[in-house]
Amino acid sequence: MSKPVSRREFLNLIGASGGSAAVLTATSALGLLPTTAAAASPDLLNPGSSKRQVAILGAGISGLTAAYELTKAGYDCVVLEASHRAGGRIFTVRSGDLIDEIGNRQYCEFDDEPHMYFNAGAARIPSTHRNLLHYTKELGVELEIFINECKNAYVQDDNMLGGKPIRNIEYTTHARGFMADIMAKSLSGIELDEPFTEQESETLLGMIRSFGDLNEDNLYTGSLRAGYASGGFLHHGVQKDMIAFRDLLKTDLGRLLLNANEGDTGPVLLQPKGGMDMTIQAFVANLGDRVKFRSAVTAVQVKEQGVDVVYEQEGVRHKIEADYCFNCIPTHLMAGIEHNFPAEYVSAMKYVRRGEAFKAAFQAKTRFWEDEDIYGGGSWLNSPIQEIWYPPHGIHKAKGVILGAYDYGGRAGLMNLSQEERIELCLAEGEKVHPDYRSLVEKPITIAWHRMNHMLGCSARWSRNRGQGWTHEEETMYHTLQKPVNGRHYFIGDQISMHSAWQESAIMSAHWALADMDKQARATA
Amino acid sequence: MSVNRIVVFAISLLFSAAILSAEEIAREPYNDRYCMTCHGVDGRGNEGVQAPRLAGMPAWYLQRQLKNFRAGIRGTHPQDIEGLAMQPMAAKLSDESIADIVAWVGSWETIAAERTIEGDAARGRNFYSACALCHGDNAEGNEAMGAPALAGQNDWYLLTQLKNFMAGYRGSHAEDIYGAQMRSMVNTLRNEAGIINVVAYINTLPR
Repeated sequence: MSKPVSRREFLNLIGASGGSAAVLTATSALGLLPTTAAAASPDLLNPGSSKRQVAILGAGISGLTAAYELTKAGYDCVVLEASHRAGGRIFTVRSGDLIDEIGNRQYCEFDDEPHMYFNAGAARIPSTHRNLLHYTKELGVELEIFINECKNAYVQDDNMLGGKPIRNIEYTTHARGFMADIMAKSLSGIELDEPFTEQESETLLGMIRSFGDLNEDNLYTGSLRAGYASGGFLHHGVQKDMIAFRDLLKTDLGRLLLNANEGDTGPVLLQPKGGMDMTIQAFVANLGDRVKFRSAVTAVQVKEQGVDVVYEQEGVRHKIEADYCFNCIPTHLMAGIEHNFPAEYVSAMKYVRRGEAFKAAFQAKTRFWEDEDIYGGGSWLNSPIQEIWYPPHGIHKAKGVILGAYDYGGRAGLMNLSQEERIELCLAEGEKVHPDYRSLVEKPITIAWHRMNHMLGCSARWSRNRGQGWTHEEETMYHTLQKPVNGRHYFIGDQISMHSAWQESAIMSAHWALADMDKQARATA
Repeated sequence: MSVNRIVVFAISLLFSAAILSAEEIAREPYNDRYCMTCHGVDGRGNEGVQAPRLAGMPAWYLQRQLKNFRAGIRGTHPQDIEGLAMQPMAAKLSDESIADIVAWVGSWETIAAERTIEGDAARGRNFYSACALCHGDNAEGNEAMGAPALAGQNDWYLLTQLKNFMAGYRGSHAEDIYGAQMRSMVNTLRNEAGIINVVAYINTLPR
């Protein structure tokens, strides 16, 4: 039996909840429950006849947001994009597309069908990311629900149950049951000291029972929630055998399983129909030839009244004398481009570390997971591939594209292997969950984001103390980089946010910069 | 359409066996001139990704290093962090690509790197006398000795490489002849302070 929660710990919890409850009662009584701040496009002042030129460096979603809003407001914009495509880490891979990973270039060979795509970067839109959702609505990008979790997908760890995969629903049902069992016992012990009223105790116990599906004696003895061993429709369902809690504790995956659908990735999530880059395509269609591809910035000089930008296109260097510059080039790449930024700006640029992330995908010859009651969501593995995702779109069609690996860095994983080694590892690990995996999938693609040409990284990593939050120095450097140079040059992108790796953060960084610029423009208008 | 594509297309027409679809013909072309992404504009070096200056490096040295990376003679030691980053980027280069890259790098204007490391240059000067035997009095390099120029190179790169040589992260591969030569010399610098001082001295040389 595990050690019960100490009386002190328990009282702390009650104290905390009591405090917030008191506040809530007061606010709701006064009708002051938090109102949601609706997404608002920046209301920019039209520069009028003094047509002001803006250079936007990088066609990631922050750059495109800035270009879109400024163009709407009457500014003269040019977007310089070093690569052959827009979107940066919003990258939907389809038939024939080039994956420009340095040293590992690939063309995607998937079947050319609307549902046969892979979101190699951004893949989920939380329903609270209202600025991004605002643009999808304004630009007419059709959305559909993204299924982040399917309880029938698998959990597999070589250390658990001899490596045999079990359904997510089995793992989580039993884990919750055992935890609830412990909680109920802790509660009955503490109840005697009367920290709760009788009514509160009863309510809490009811919640615990329901959370873990405990029996009337507050014990966990297995649950039909884990799926039926047999029956369930025309015959009574037969409960599956319990799995000992000790066996479930052989894996660390429980931590991931129990928070996979909380916070940013909590339901409901959305995705554009046809691929995450539909938003990018809509922005680019709107901006037309203002977006220049294969145009690499070679120099940025901030001047008294503007910013000079030099870029190279097809071997020829061109210069733009812009009034303002919005720059979403990753700071670690900007450090290798000629510039005249102040020293503290440069120190901050060099401090930010580039993130690593790796994804692989296969074309599946059949939607074999649907035959196993899996629709969307993903399986969790304690292995270098970490996850297998099943597409929530194209349900019941002949084929689909599955995610074969998702490694977000921090371990000696797939990303340092050759293409052949990566694919073999994905197949070997995938077979542990789907025995015929190797014969069911084909046409692999892999992407190591820290090797992608013109990016060399996934999301920016500011904090070096994992789990400890940001240091004061890191916050100072962040604000240094957010502030404009001379009121003319703004860094933007999810790198200039405290919550990198989300499209919403990138868009909001652009909105912050636009609002700051607009404030100046209004002051001098 | 790249030359290769045109050739492929022409061959396919000749034999009428392989018919390229419209998608295949429209595929995004590429070449192997991707150095600037990491090494900075005109190969000036980029501290942000710890990629050294290439401009001004002698062609024979660049070629040797690219071939060493390609063959795994350099950039495969598990502690050589920057080398490990470079190695796969060179792994698929053809001889033609290497020749093209080296010629391309030769066309870039050389701008001396910014000085970022301070040390006791006077002490470093004493140490440097051993280095000068191969790298030259002004660290200008010496092809006959297989020793590259050091003057004007990013000082943070020199620091990393000297530390790597000293620790055996570089130059330990059985086929790395010049690396082995360098490894036998680097111990004259004794320790990290010696390395910093010699880099500080190199920073004072004409560039």
